[in-house]
Amino acid sequence: MNDRVPVVVFIGQPNCGKSTLFNAIAGFKAQTSNFPGTTVCHAHSEVAWKGRVYSIVDLPGTYSLTPQEPQEKVVLTHIFKEKPDLIVNVIDASLLCRSLELTVELLELEYPMVVVLNMMDLAEKKGMKIDPAALEKKLGVPVIRTVATRGQGTNDLMDWVEKVLGEQRRPRHLRYSGEVENRIKKLAEMLPADFPVIANPRFTAIRAIEAETLAVDKFFLENNPDFKQDLDRLRQEISALREAPAYEVLAAERHHLALKIFEDCCLVRHARLSGLEKLDSFIMHPVLGLFLLLLIFAGMFYLIFRVGSPLEAWLLKPWEALRLGIQERYGHTLLAELLVGLVQGVGGGVAIVFPYFIPLLLLMGFLEDVGYLARAGFLMDAFMHRLGLHGKSVPLFILGFGCNVPAIMATRILESRRDRIITALLIPFIPCAARTTIILALVAFLLGPWWALGFYFLNLVVVAVLSSVLTRIFKYSSPGLILEIPSLKWPSLKNILQKTYFNLKEFIRFAWPILIAGSLLLSLLSFVNFDRLVNAVLSPFVSGLLGLPSSLGVTLVFGFLRKELSLLMMFQALGVSYQQLLSVISRGQLLTFVTFVNFFIPCLSTLAILWKELGRRIALVSVLLNLSVAVLVSWLVRLAFALF
Amino acid sequence: MFGHRKNQTESPPVTGRVCSLLEIPQGQKFRIVEIKGGPGLHRRLLALGFHRGDLVALDGEALLGGPVLVKNIKSDTRIALGRRIARKILVEPADENER
Repeated sequence: MNDRVPVVVFIGQPNCGKSTLFNAIAGFKAQTSNFPGTTVCHAHSEVAWKGRVYSIVDLPGTYSLTPQEPQEKVVLTHIFKEKPDLIVNVIDASLLCRSLELTVELLELEYPMVVVLNMMDLAEKKGMKIDPAALEKKLGVPVIRTVATRGQGTNDLMDWVEKVLGEQRRPRHLRYSGEVENRIKKLAEMLPADFPVIANPRFTAIRAIEAETLAVDKFFLENNPDFKQDLDRLRQEISALREAPAYEVLAAERHHLALKIFEDCCLVRHARLSGLEKLDSFIMHPVLGLFLLLLIFAGMFYLIFRVGSPLEAWLLKPWEALRLGIQERYGHTLLAELLVGLVQGVGGGVAIVFPYFIPLLLLMGFLEDVGYLARAGFLMDAFMHRLGLHGKSVPLFILGFGCNVPAIMATRILESRRDRIITALLIPFIPCAARTTIILALVAFLLGPWWALGFYFLNLVVVAVLSSVLTRIFKYSSPGLILEIPSLKWPSLKNILQKTYFNLKEFIRFAWPILIAGSLLLSLLSFVNFDRLVNAVLSPFVSGLLGLPSSLGVTLVFGFLRKELSLLMMFQALGVSYQQLLSVISRGQLLTFVTFVNFFIPCLSTLAILWKELGRRIALVSVLLNLSVAVLVSWLVRLAFALF
Repeated sequence: MFGHRKNQTESPPVTGRVCSLLEIPQGQKFRIVEIKGGPGLHRRLLALGFHRGDLVALDGEALLGGPVLVKNIKSDTRIALGRRIARKILVEPADENER
């Protein structure tokens, strides 16, 4: 072997535990969840094993090599463009039968490959007895057993990676039935000399046959009228064999190969209904399930409030004392202003992170890990149809409660671009963990939990109304829901902690410094009286339209960076401490301000991801939409308080 | 425990009769005989491991015209299908002991 770092790609069907395995080997780099499609862009890591470095890539889950969802296209592009040196095909052993269909497809590439039977513990619990030696023989590639959640088998896997790479062992494809195989062979021989061969002629021929009715078909045929004739003829012949479209015939061939291997290598004893399955029939029950859904979310926010609110009061005390101490000692000097700014930035972060952010992330991680998100999608589908979307968007909205950014990235699992755009435009209206924190911290802390709950409800109504309006503008009959429901799993504490750590790290690395810098900047600006200029410019809007103290204007500027910043800086701008806030502004003003800030613009990172995922136009539409909704709704709140 | 509720349609399974996934009772085995609808839907179902000839059973349904839950007996996977899609999948009753 030469000195080039060999590229090892992890490929498998959604939810097979690729990312968990990847994390077990590469350290905590990829997001995991029990919801198909979490790895939307690939994670990548350099791993040293026995003195050699490997570049390991975790690709998004894909059901087959015929791409349909945008995220599945990532897989194909990667395989075709950056020819991997080794494929690690990760299989959920408890779903061996279906998973083998992708394995058969991957073998056709004839790249060096190993198969990983992950979740062996789950398979055994289901009464499946898998014979790895038999499987190895049938597939012609090494088969390694792992339980990634416990890190079992990862050393074994790396040993095999080293070995297979060293030997450059290439597998052989499995043969379809004779009449189909012959026709594929014929086409492979007819490929024009200039045809872009992928992996090998047989694989290319299969792709070409299956490309029927797909967009890539044009790419295959554009410059080759002769080849088009041959291809059409062979497609017809294959189609005639089984009286089905050619692509279905080939898929059925792979299905039968997979089925045969499954039956030869796996014994299924009569499985008892496990406790989890009983629980699942309760969760998925049409009436009780919906009730439970409501209970889970109400309980979640109640719990966070019960834990967070007293904790917050306790955590804020020393910072407040520090602030007063500084002001007493240094008076109105630049140093004092800057120190106060620093204290408020750091203290504000502490008051967000520990009481609310961490509990919320832990609970979200738990729901994701057990596999509840897809179930929520199932239960809410009918409701979502009334809003013009379908249930597949529900898990994305729920993800949005954690953070809008990964939620927008995960919209790639939606097949239709229209659904994707609408869902991505709506997600910024979902209060993310940081915003929820502020709502809870401010509204619940100062006005009481019912106000916070009411605010949350108002928020959801705004999302629902917007959804109805948007789906009416982009009219199109949605194809309906097709969503895999992964089996319910016992939560893995390790996964949940990893996930929480991930999101927390992002917050501490990016958001908190901005918060502190913003706070310092505001101190500086107010010391040189620059904030008055900003406030004066924004005054017609801030005090004229919304009826707020014009000194809040400057905080909105910071809201462009992160929305919760505006709220935290409110105290500094008004020159009061947390507990005294209601002595300077009224309840109505507080709610108006919170409403406006909550909606007014997607935060910088959300905007960036919208731009990257869906283009500049959609990002711009999102900004305008948020601004107009924010103005309208907060004005209505002001009106409501003026009237009642 | 739950989930053994009969489907809204009252008729018991009739052997040999082809009907859509929306018309079958929960918990009994059926065989997919045809998937109507365009190639997009067809490919999606194939990728998810639902083929012609597969044994399936209805495993639940959501309220108010919500999706149905379909289980593939062999591969032990489940998917939620919107009603408009479920209507396009035609099945016939299968022998309970068939595997």
